[in-house]
Amino acid sequence: MLETEMSETVMSETGPLLRVRDLHAEIGDPRAPVHALRGVSFDILRGEAVGFVGESGSGKSVTARAVMRLAPEGAKVRLRGSVDFAGRDLLQLDESEMLDIRGRRIAMVFQDPMTSLNPVMTVGAQIDDIIRRHMNLSAREARARSVELLGLVGIQDPARRADDYPHQFSGGMRQRVLIAIAISCDPDLLIADEPTTALDVTVQAQILRLLLRLRDERGMSLMLITHDFGVVAGMVETVNVMYRGRIVETGRVDAVFAAPAHDYTRRLLAATPRLHRSGQAA
Amino acid sequence: MKRVILTRLAWTLGILLGVSFVAFVLMRALPGDFAIAATGAQSVAPEVLEGIRRQLGLDRPLIEQYVIWLGKALTGDFGVSFVTRQPVAGTVFDRFIVTFQLALIAAIMSIVMGSITGLASARLRGATDWIVRMVNGVMLAVPNYIVATLIVLLVGLYFPQFAILGYTPFLSDPVGNIAGLLLPALALSLAVSVTVSENIRAAVLEVANQDFVMVARAKGLRRGAVLRDYLIRNALTPVVTATGLKVAALLGGSILVETIFAIPGMGQYLYESINSRDYPVIQAIILLTAAIVVLVNMLVDIAYARIDARVRL
Ligand SMILES: Nc1ncnc2c1ncn2[C@@H]1O[C@H](COP(=O)(O)OP(=O)(O)OP(=O)(O)O)[C@@H](O)[C@H]1O
Ligand SMILES: [Mg+2]
Repeated sequence: MLETEMSETVMSETGPLLRVRDLHAEIGDPRAPVHALRGVSFDILRGEAVGFVGESGSGKSVTARAVMRLAPEGAKVRLRGSVDFAGRDLLQLDESEMLDIRGRRIAMVFQDPMTSLNPVMTVGAQIDDIIRRHMNLSAREARARSVELLGLVGIQDPARRADDYPHQFSGGMRQRVLIAIAISCDPDLLIADEPTTALDVTVQAQILRLLLRLRDERGMSLMLITHDFGVVAGMVETVNVMYRGRIVETGRVDAVFAAPAHDYTRRLLAATPRLHRSGQAA
Repeated sequence: MKRVILTRLAWTLGILLGVSFVAFVLMRALPGDFAIAATGAQSVAPEVLEGIRRQLGLDRPLIEQYVIWLGKALTGDFGVSFVTRQPVAGTVFDRFIVTFQLALIAAIMSIVMGSITGLASARLRGATDWIVRMVNGVMLAVPNYIVATLIVLLVGLYFPQFAILGYTPFLSDPVGNIAGLLLPALALSLAVSVTVSENIRAAVLEVANQDFVMVARAKGLRRGAVLRDYLIRNALTPVVTATGLKVAALLGGSILVETIFAIPGMGQYLYESINSRDYPVIQAIILLTAAIVVLVNMLVDIAYARIDARVRL
């Protein structure tokens, strides 16, 4: 008994935080399913930032949601394989156990900050509710923490802004709020699914820097999804290239950049406008 | 805010003025008038009819009659019923209280039934959704007076010991008063509950696909919290409008249901007054009904702004 606990602790301390093996996802009607993931395997170490790139429809979002066992409303998603997180296979947990993982151990930032906040709740209330769900805090203590988090992600005058509604914030500010929500309970893993796609170019860089800073300060692992190779370049250690429901190439980001092994990666790289490339040309 | 309210009030007065004028003209455009209705026959000598008309001022030009009525109405005097010789304000108010009680009970019933079925339909989908929509479809197709008639017939047939017709004043027997209004309220509420149900269903289904609901689930919030704070609160806005209009209609009173259950409400009174061409009463009831609709609309708008901070009054 003690031994298994020991070995489990050792495993989760030394092994990767997240170990996904042979993950399959089928969506929709069982007779004619969309085979969105066809055997995805990857690891994310503690504190590591891992990028996922690939064209639209390659399965990046389905992978991210599979890790959290989330599916869009009404979509029937069947998952196979294993998603070992800190020593437990998430695919074996029941829904109530997953509720304690979501938002607490694994958190997610989504693509479109304009639609990701509840328009009829104040921004503060939307941070309070996750905090109170996972931490044993009073309403007052939760609000104090919410305000602190808003300040941390770069919202000016956070105490006052906490009482504002989402429509009173710009897109970049809303994404900061969503990041505050995501990091509010000190998750071990932060999944960011194209967190800057919907934002202005200048704001994109700020949000990416914020994510990196938070990763460094808090020692979180980061799963950064993007279709833009340029984004992962300076951000992550490891990159996984996805194509049609599979990971076709994986490696250290500089190595993949320097010598892409897979044909698809080469095409993807060629299609990516890169700042330093145009810099070389000039 | 103050300006908004003042503008709204000015609007309201304008609407009520227009409604009162149109009602005034239309009533007198109906064939026959009070003199004929009261005496009941053509065999009465024309001089008698003329005498009645002169006495009530019905012989004057229409516009003059209206101006006289308006002048008094503005001071709160709605005149005297041609039939009962009682001040209109008092009788209409008594009738309105009855209708108001009935409408209140019917509104509560419809909102409770509609919310439960609408939510169940949207969240559970599958067979529940199917059954709720079937039942809603049927109830929508059956007018409330048919439901009322069926209730009266069935209760009379199987539970003849219950006296379900008539009205017990609240002050003389509160329990009997409410119990007596339950069945007519049920008859009134079915169609309204369908509106509530279908609107909640549609709104919740729409909101469920919004990104912020996925975010809420990604927070690990429990189902109940997601439902309450994310789904329902966002689905409320469209539901409030539809429900508000229906409730306003209930407050106007239902001629048929009140008549079938022999409830002395405003709907029934309006019917009686139209038959007897009791112009002052008709005028007051129509004005009151219009005022209620405007008021409910205003309340709906205020509710809007309270639910959704993006809405400015
Ligand atoms: N709710 C759904 N119902 C049916 N099929 C779906 C659903 N969600 C995703 N899919 C399918 O799964 C596959 C992978 O989709 P996914 O959203 O993961 O792509 P992605 O890599 O995130 O693309 P993008 O860059 O456009 O976000 C696609 O073929 C898509 O059609
Ligand atoms: Mg995606």
